[in-house]
Amino acid sequence: MSATDAATQAPPAPTRRRAASVIWRKLFGRRVVLVGALMLAIVAVAALFAPWLTPYDPTALRILDRLQSPRGAHWFGTDELGRDVFSRVIFGARYSLMIGALVVAISVTCGALLGLAAGYFRKLDGPIMRVVDALMSFPDILLAIALVAVLGASMTNVIIALSIVYTPRVARVVRASTLVVRELLFIEAAQALGVSTWRILLLHILPNIASPILVQATFIFAYAVLAEAGLSFLGVGVPPALPTWGTMIASGQQFAHQAIWLVVFPGFAIILSALSLQMVGDGLRDLLDPKLRKTL
Amino acid sequence: MLRIVEKSTLPRALRLAVVIRGLRTLGVAVVAGTCLCAGAIAAPPKGGAANLAMIGEPQTLDPMSSTADLVGTIMQHVYELLYTYDANSNVVPMLAESMPAVSRDGLVYTIPLRKGVKFHNGKEMTSADVVASLQRWMDMAPRGKAVAKEIKSLEAKGPNTIVITLNRPYAPLVAHLALSNGFAAIMAKDSIATPLTQFIGTGPYMFKERRPDQYVQLVRFDGYSARSEPASGYGGKREALLDELRFIPVPNANTRVEGALSGQYHFADVLPVESYARLESAANVKPVLTAPFGFPYLVLNTKQGPLANVALRRAVQASLSNADMLGAGFGDPKFYSADANHYAKNTPFYSTAGTESYGKGDAKRAAAMVAAAKYDGAPIKILTSQQYDFHYRMALVMAENLKAAGFKVDMQVVDWSTLIQRRNDPALWDIYITHSAVLPEPTLTPPQLGDGAPGWWSSPAKDAALAAFNAEADPKKRAALWGNVQAVVFAEVPYIRVGNFNSVTARAAKLDGYVAMPWPFFWNTGLQK
Amino acid sequence: MAIVMLIVATLVFFITRLAPGDPAAVMLGEQATAADIATLRASYGLDKPLPVQFAYWLGELARGNLGQSIFLQRPVTQALAERAEPTFFLTLFALGIAMLIGVPLGIVAAVWRGRWVDQAFSGFAMLGASVPSFWLGLILMQIFAVGLGWFPVAGYGDPGVPLADRLRHLVLPAIVLGVVNSALILRFTRASMLDVLGEDHIRTARAKGVTERRVVLHHALRNALIPVVTVLGLTFALLIGGAIVTETVFGLPGIGNLVVSAVLRRDYPVIQGALLVIAGLYVLINLLIDLLYLAIDPRVKY
Repeated sequence: MSATDAATQAPPAPTRRRAASVIWRKLFGRRVVLVGALMLAIVAVAALFAPWLTPYDPTALRILDRLQSPRGAHWFGTDELGRDVFSRVIFGARYSLMIGALVVAISVTCGALLGLAAGYFRKLDGPIMRVVDALMSFPDILLAIALVAVLGASMTNVIIALSIVYTPRVARVVRASTLVVRELLFIEAAQALGVSTWRILLLHILPNIASPILVQATFIFAYAVLAEAGLSFLGVGVPPALPTWGTMIASGQQFAHQAIWLVVFPGFAIILSALSLQMVGDGLRDLLDPKLRKTL
Repeated sequence: MLRIVEKSTLPRALRLAVVIRGLRTLGVAVVAGTCLCAGAIAAPPKGGAANLAMIGEPQTLDPMSSTADLVGTIMQHVYELLYTYDANSNVVPMLAESMPAVSRDGLVYTIPLRKGVKFHNGKEMTSADVVASLQRWMDMAPRGKAVAKEIKSLEAKGPNTIVITLNRPYAPLVAHLALSNGFAAIMAKDSIATPLTQFIGTGPYMFKERRPDQYVQLVRFDGYSARSEPASGYGGKREALLDELRFIPVPNANTRVEGALSGQYHFADVLPVESYARLESAANVKPVLTAPFGFPYLVLNTKQGPLANVALRRAVQASLSNADMLGAGFGDPKFYSADANHYAKNTPFYSTAGTESYGKGDAKRAAAMVAAAKYDGAPIKILTSQQYDFHYRMALVMAENLKAAGFKVDMQVVDWSTLIQRRNDPALWDIYITHSAVLPEPTLTPPQLGDGAPGWWSSPAKDAALAAFNAEADPKKRAALWGNVQAVVFAEVPYIRVGNFNSVTARAAKLDGYVAMPWPFFWNTGLQK
Repeated sequence: MAIVMLIVATLVFFITRLAPGDPAAVMLGEQATAADIATLRASYGLDKPLPVQFAYWLGELARGNLGQSIFLQRPVTQALAERAEPTFFLTLFALGIAMLIGVPLGIVAAVWRGRWVDQAFSGFAMLGASVPSFWLGLILMQIFAVGLGWFPVAGYGDPGVPLADRLRHLVLPAIVLGVVNSALILRFTRASMLDVLGEDHIRTARAKGVTERRVVLHHALRNALIPVVTVLGLTFALLIGGAIVTETVFGLPGIGNLVVSAVLRRDYPVIQGALLVIAGLYVLINLLIDLLYLAIDPRVKY
């Protein structure tokens, strides 16, 4: 019994744990990753603790205080309805990051399943990858716009649409890695020993292709935050009443001349989160798999 | 700084406070709402092309099929009416030779037509064209369909006269024929088709080309037959001075402002009030304030959904703070007034009937009304768009007001043309926001006072009050009868008239002869070199 | 290729047919009666089973008929053709700007690998990829069009003006699109250059005493740029996607603007047509690039 486990589990557990700690140390030893992670932490804290961090209710209207420039009580100024821009940017982190996180969760799950299936079962490879190719021949934002048009503009539908857009990317990466891992000796051994296909896929292949998935997930997170902002800006994203960064810029743009802060601060928030995610993703990629540099 | 504010003894409904600042910077004199100072000014120059930044792409160019302001604004240059309004909101003849001869019982209207008026295809207008056009209007135009119910027959009497016979006396008939919105356009008979593919009218401008999302291009009609009376409002002598008009869809209000300031646009329609100060301080642009321009109103779905219950409609009315909504929509009180009465104090249709129900944002009272009406918690679907930014800002305040009264709110922000489509389906909405120009005849707007408009308001009280009002031709008696209609509107809440607002538009300083009217027009307007 | 396009067409058809709402009712507008709608549905074949409709649609597609726009009341192909010009020039200029930024910076970063220039340029690439193009557009428009008045604020020129005047309207949007999308080219050039600089013949050249400048510009550059060609396909997709947003910001009447308006107007035939044409272009461009790559790089064999 123990012999079986040892034969099918590769690399062995102790090595893996040591590798993990090495990776961890190396990762945060890199300045780019450290800075990126810190920036990401700031955004995440803002999102999680928004109600405690904000001086004002982000939806409370104070018509008399409208379009005040950033000073005094309103650090980022107020918008056209007298709402506090700082509070809205902080609350915007909630919606924007939540949408990004859900898109990552859904597209990674679906993409990993499809990619594993395509990479492991030769018969499924052709059909799945043709559909993936077809989906990837639409520009991201165009496919997302079309899907939202069909589904209707709401937060749920934006998440669904963006998940459909990014699933093929994950599927392609997972398939490529699965094709490599499938040929490794320990998988053949497991197959010979009659380990069930499900077990092989989930316990043996998946852990060994986790790093490209993780890297891809980080980038998709960044893209999803940017895409959500774009969709909302175009008016085909989440309803304008929800304070996401995209909707804030969309409604602030017509006051751009006399109240540029309405556009600037939500934009900085988008850049901060997308940049931090890409910095972390970049560091992860260099570290985990230098070969990936070109394929991503 | 010179400021001429027109004071008129005539009905105030269409009266415009035209603020002119032209003399300050360039020494260019400008014609005000009337021709008070026309004699002193040299005629504006001829030639050139004007770029006119409008709020969006017209959903159609058929002037009958849509009551959208944009469609009427553009197509009033191509098509003309039998009658129109002068600067003091009097009905005056346009394609008709004179005012109709009305039989003593008020049932037969004989309308003489002008002779020698040419269509854009070179043919002369006859009674056959007019009858065919009015027939099409009565068959398909929302306003025309309402009027058609009152009409027994419409026929030509010789080549230059038409006769309209009514079922019963109907005072607003001529007002309907004069309104350039969803309008009874006179079209060349052989161009009439549905959908319309050729736009052959008698107007000073001819349709040339439509490039969706780029421009609608009109060019001068050299064979135009003008009236001889001096220009006043939409009426009197019209002369195409500009060679070419380009109505450019610029949905982004900020872009309209910036484009006007940079000189790219010679006219910019419906601007945010925030831009007023900047427009005022720029040398090459003049802001134009039209007051009162219109009124925002909320239409309630009386047919389906929670608001089919009149008690809940009254609760909505009580919950709303109309003053806050106007404040959110228009900012400075210079740009709006929270009037409960539908018509202003010194006008014939002024009445305070029912105005005690005008919403003051009383959440407590509204909550009690909501509870008493056994509200089941079904969300109130609010339909609004961002094409008119004040709609959306008012919708935000409205949503807060409704929530405070215990309503659940589902706000749906859609494109304006989508809103126009969706409002026809009673399953899709409970309240939508729109606005209308202030019109001289009460039953012309909002369309909910007629039959079949979205909201589908129909009740015995409505029919009785309106029938009495429409049958009465005597202006003095009509005022009191209008009060009864207004009271029914406050009691049954088919729509909520939020208040009045003034409009800000901008014109280039060198756009000469421009006269501010609710639906901007560009005949008699020229460009200084 | 053909199979992918067939799948694309199938996806486009079924995605848009899942849409709520009856196109016939939308087309006829407010005054339509149920009978009118039924007649129109029949005339468009909308009353037939979905597979039959799909076969019919594919047949029309094969003949180049993308259907009729509901809102614009003209064939979709005509609507797309009318909007092609600004989008074509915008993507072309943006591609040029992206390459002008990406290629030199990528080479410099590779040559001075690990030094501060490399880090600064890599940082710039990452920043570029993190800036939403609509945001950059709004900011640049405020500064250069509204503030300084160097460029027109919006639109694509008056009717009938010469091409040069229209192209002036594309300067700011092309800069926005080019800067934001230069990141990919920069990274790719850098990686490719690093690969080549590590190859044997470069080492041989260096050993022979060829100056570093000559090594980089003569020996490495040409070989390094060949793989960069492959990234152009991906950049095209990014640019088309970016054009959708950028055209909306600057009010350019291009295909991107058409798609966004079509979505807001529920003009499904236009959405369908635009999706198909853009996906088709993408597949075609990638095919061309593969062929090009085959032609210029003798090492690649298919």
